[in-house]
Amino acid sequence: MIPKVLIANRGEIAVRIIRACHEMGLTTVAVYSTADKDALHVRLADEAVCIGGAPARESYLNINNVIAAAIATGATMIHPGYGFLSENAQFAEIVERCNIAFVGPSAATMRTMGDKATAKKKARAARVPVLLGSDGTIASLDEGLRVAKQVGFPVMLKAANGGGGRGISIIRSATEFKPIYERTSLEAETNFGNGSLYVEKYIEAPRHIEAQILADKHGNVLFLGERDCSLQRRNQKMIEETPSPLVDVGLRIRMGQAAIRLAKAIKYVNAGTIEFLIDEKGNFYFIEMNSRLQVEHPVTECVTGIDIVKEQIRIAMNQPLALKQNQVKTSGHAIECRVNAEDTDNNFMPMPGKIERLMIPGGPGIRVDTHIYAGYAVPPYYDSLLAKVIAYAPTRREAIDKMRVALRHFVVEGIKTNIDILAYVMENETFIDGRFDTGFITRLLESAK
Amino acid sequence: MGTVVDKLKAKSAVKKTPQDLYVRPSDIPQGLFVACEKCHAAIYQKELDENLRVCPHCQYHFRLNAAERIRVTLDEGSFSELFSKLTSVNPLGMPEYDDKLAKSQALSNMKEAFVGGIGAIDGIQVAFGVLDPFFMMGSMGSVVGEKMTRLVEYATKAKLPLIVFSGSGGARMQEGIFSLMQMAKTSMAVKRHSDAGLLFISVLTDPTTGGVAASFASLGDILIAEQGALIGFAGPRVIKQTIQQDLPEGFQTAEFQLKHGQVDLVAKRRQIKPLLAKLLRLHQPGAMK
Repeated sequence: MIPKVLIANRGEIAVRIIRACHEMGLTTVAVYSTADKDALHVRLADEAVCIGGAPARESYLNINNVIAAAIATGATMIHPGYGFLSENAQFAEIVERCNIAFVGPSAATMRTMGDKATAKKKARAARVPVLLGSDGTIASLDEGLRVAKQVGFPVMLKAANGGGGRGISIIRSATEFKPIYERTSLEAETNFGNGSLYVEKYIEAPRHIEAQILADKHGNVLFLGERDCSLQRRNQKMIEETPSPLVDVGLRIRMGQAAIRLAKAIKYVNAGTIEFLIDEKGNFYFIEMNSRLQVEHPVTECVTGIDIVKEQIRIAMNQPLALKQNQVKTSGHAIECRVNAEDTDNNFMPMPGKIERLMIPGGPGIRVDTHIYAGYAVPPYYDSLLAKVIAYAPTRREAIDKMRVALRHFVVEGIKTNIDILAYVMENETFIDGRFDTGFITRLLESAK
Repeated sequence: MGTVVDKLKAKSAVKKTPQDLYVRPSDIPQGLFVACEKCHAAIYQKELDENLRVCPHCQYHFRLNAAERIRVTLDEGSFSELFSKLTSVNPLGMPEYDDKLAKSQALSNMKEAFVGGIGAIDGIQVAFGVLDPFFMMGSMGSVVGEKMTRLVEYATKAKLPLIVFSGSGGARMQEGIFSLMQMAKTSMAVKRHSDAGLLFISVLTDPTTGGVAASFASLGDILIAEQGALIGFAGPRVIKQTIQQDLPEGFQTAEFQLKHGQVDLVAKRRQIKPLLAKLLRLHQPGAMK
């Protein structure tokens, strides 16, 4: 009997996973919402099951329906992709209990890493540097000021219940502390119904670098290099690349060793990504771990030659990793651009609609992961990602050139996309020189106002 | 016949992709999910337990047995049971009563429908009693009445506040007049507890009806009803058949009784413990100073 993999996702990642399964000779089951009946993943899979209405909570987030689809089709494995249920510990637990192999870490690991305070504690215990700050929330102004002086200014004051970049203030000196503390606490009380705050070291112009790891069920952990994800708009990554133009060999080794230590300490299994902030001096600090496949995994695949999705499935089949760390060789440079259906002249508003004409770029070193086709109607219910264009070349400069051309050859008609902005970035001097930080895109867009 | 590819495939076998076999038959194990008794949604058992057995979809409060009620209400490990050895006999020689009792005892691992003892809520000592609606519908026979009475007397003597969770169909028919006598006996005990200036909080859960509703359960200084609980004397079906009229919407629910002045407040299950803790603190000597 051939293993049967249910892909609990949609869009480009469902297509990506189905392809990997078919290459491995595995049969696949797609699940879809009523809004996705014409989606590519539904057509490519061997079987497809409708699991509910268009809103994700009725379908792609509906644990009961996904499980029912798996049981009804006799699926022996579930790949959750990214987003949706991929980091839902309860889902992973139910999958395990139903005797279905979950392509990802155990529910227990997911719970540990899903709680920021616990994750930070685990990181510290594994001697992975974390941002200095208060242990949990601060009880008073005095305590906050004492912690701030200990970690050194500038510091961030963060609302315990805040999120998505809201409820954060930056304090640059001790004299500013009192007024800003009082204001932030009041704002947090008003906006989040909880005025408690915590203090964390603030990093000026940080880079967002993440370490990709693979871990099998036999205690082996591989570090597959870093990805630079500093090019973001409102905490949404736009362009990712590997290797990072900022990271030198020494930093890479130290970061990789830290990532492996953490993965081993928490007995991590399957693919995972450990996110770090890097300051101007090249110090790195653990922020969080994503216990799933990342959107930007293809850049790592290009430079390592390792198919991360297939490795994930092999790990879920209890197989040991075929490579040792010293056999992981990287070469060349890879960049990924996320092409979204959005109106860049109108505050990047999502732009669902029908794709009238489509030309997908190609040529050596260009990979396009996508689920769109001419005539496809982009539904308004889910994220606006249309395609990931990945350029791979021996050097960064050549990869940028390839990407520039590929984006110019990428034609999507009928809906608006961010292709022009991505293409512009490929020509921007600061980007080409590799001197950007996480605020780069925001400043760039501000300057065009 | 057939295309070129068909002929080629017929001539030489297509090489299969090698695959390590890793197949276990998948199935949903018994008890992993439970169906909501009201909205019929499938609920992950563990999620239901973590949600104190309240349906996450429709907020239906599943009934709790005595042990579960103790777990969600009292501080962990604080409960010690009293009068646990009392067991019922069949004073009227009712047919099948002995069997029913034996069956209930075997299923619940309890001797009777009432569990009483001493426990703590947020560190405050209380005399605590609970009727188990799964044990012969939590019906009150001589032993239930006696255990309740002894608990109240203990509380009076020890000057403890009393908290009782009722979940009962009423007096136990199989013990006839002996059961009815328990209504008077428990009520008198509660009166003496009250005369001693002590607090009695009665929590009415699904269902609180008949002789229990008509005696101690309605005699609390404070009456709290759990959301959605059926509370009344005779059940809706009996009343409808008797008066030959349709009953109003939501008749005899906790919310209905609140609207008509029969209980002091209606609370969700998760709110009950904090509420009890607050009420107990307010009623401690010196709390208002």
